[in-house]
Amino acid sequence: MTITSHDDVPTTVLDGAVKDYSRDKVYVLTAIFLAVLTVIEVFTYTAPDFPLWAEELLIPVLMILMAVKLFTILYIFMHLKFDKPILTRIFYSGLLLAMFVYIAMLAAFRFWF
Amino acid sequence: MAETLTSRPTLADADAHQAHAHIDADTNTGISNTKLGMWLFLASECLLFGGLITTYLLYRRPLEGPTPDEIFDIPFTSTSSFVLLMSSLTMVLAVSAIERGEHQRMRVWLGATAVLGATFMAGQIYEFTVFAREGLGFTTSRFSSAFFTLTGFHGIHVTVGIIMLVSVVLLSLRGKIPEHKAESVEIVGLYWHFVDVVWVVIFAVVYLIPT
Repeated sequence: MTITSHDDVPTTVLDGAVKDYSRDKVYVLTAIFLAVLTVIEVFTYTAPDFPLWAEELLIPVLMILMAVKLFTILYIFMHLKFDKPILTRIFYSGLLLAMFVYIAMLAAFRFWF
Repeated sequence: MAETLTSRPTLADADAHQAHAHIDADTNTGISNTKLGMWLFLASECLLFGGLITTYLLYRRPLEGPTPDEIFDIPFTSTSSFVLLMSSLTMVLAVSAIERGEHQRMRVWLGATAVLGATFMAGQIYEFTVFAREGLGFTTSRFSSAFFTLTGFHGIHVTVGIIMLVSVVLLSLRGKIPEHKAESVEIVGLYWHFVDVVWVVIFAVVYLIPT
């Protein structure tokens, strides 16, 4: 079959062509994992005296949970794990530049003192 | 120029059963310019939201008006966060559906994503209304200005995402998204997931870390 433009391609050409798609299970398990991490985050608020995140440990624990959630979404949902490495490098360039610039800004404003 | 129907491979044609399935574009990088452009845009968005979050961190201790600890309703915001998180799942399932050529299922998942996004926005509008009623306006304090600017910008991004989702559903209904254009759904998905990523950071840094 020949066609003359991309718009002529029927939209249903592959309907039902692939019945089993194993990556969907990975997505659902990832969402459950993210939901569990969110519940733990909320526990840091509802049970602030729990030894794992009591006092000075609270901020590091929240930062770790946040980072795990962030990279899980980036690698699984946004396909960085499955895609070309150049996309990871592009995104990290922006992320690291932002972190460098704003850590410098926070330091200039003596945020930690 | 005439081309055969099978000259443009889809993910389902190639190796959809494999964990690392993807199609190379006809570019030097093997990535389509649209997708590359979206990732560059998202990288630049890190600078925008980084600036807004940093400003919030500097100004989060108000000199007047209510403090964050007094005004935030963490259980309510946690529910909103959960809703947005689940919208990422429905979004990725929509991308998965179009990669298999399942248009109807893709539209259902995209619709679900838009509804979850709208629910999140309704929650944010309700939260802003409660804050205003309790005396926290945009110009009440440096904290309120930084907070409303940060969460407001995020809300605008969610709203734009909802418009994009609805547009894709409408285009699909008109038969404008065949399998070889499945990447357009993935690109909308990238934007949507990034909005979720930003909220993951906002939820931890703004709402959960006590002042």
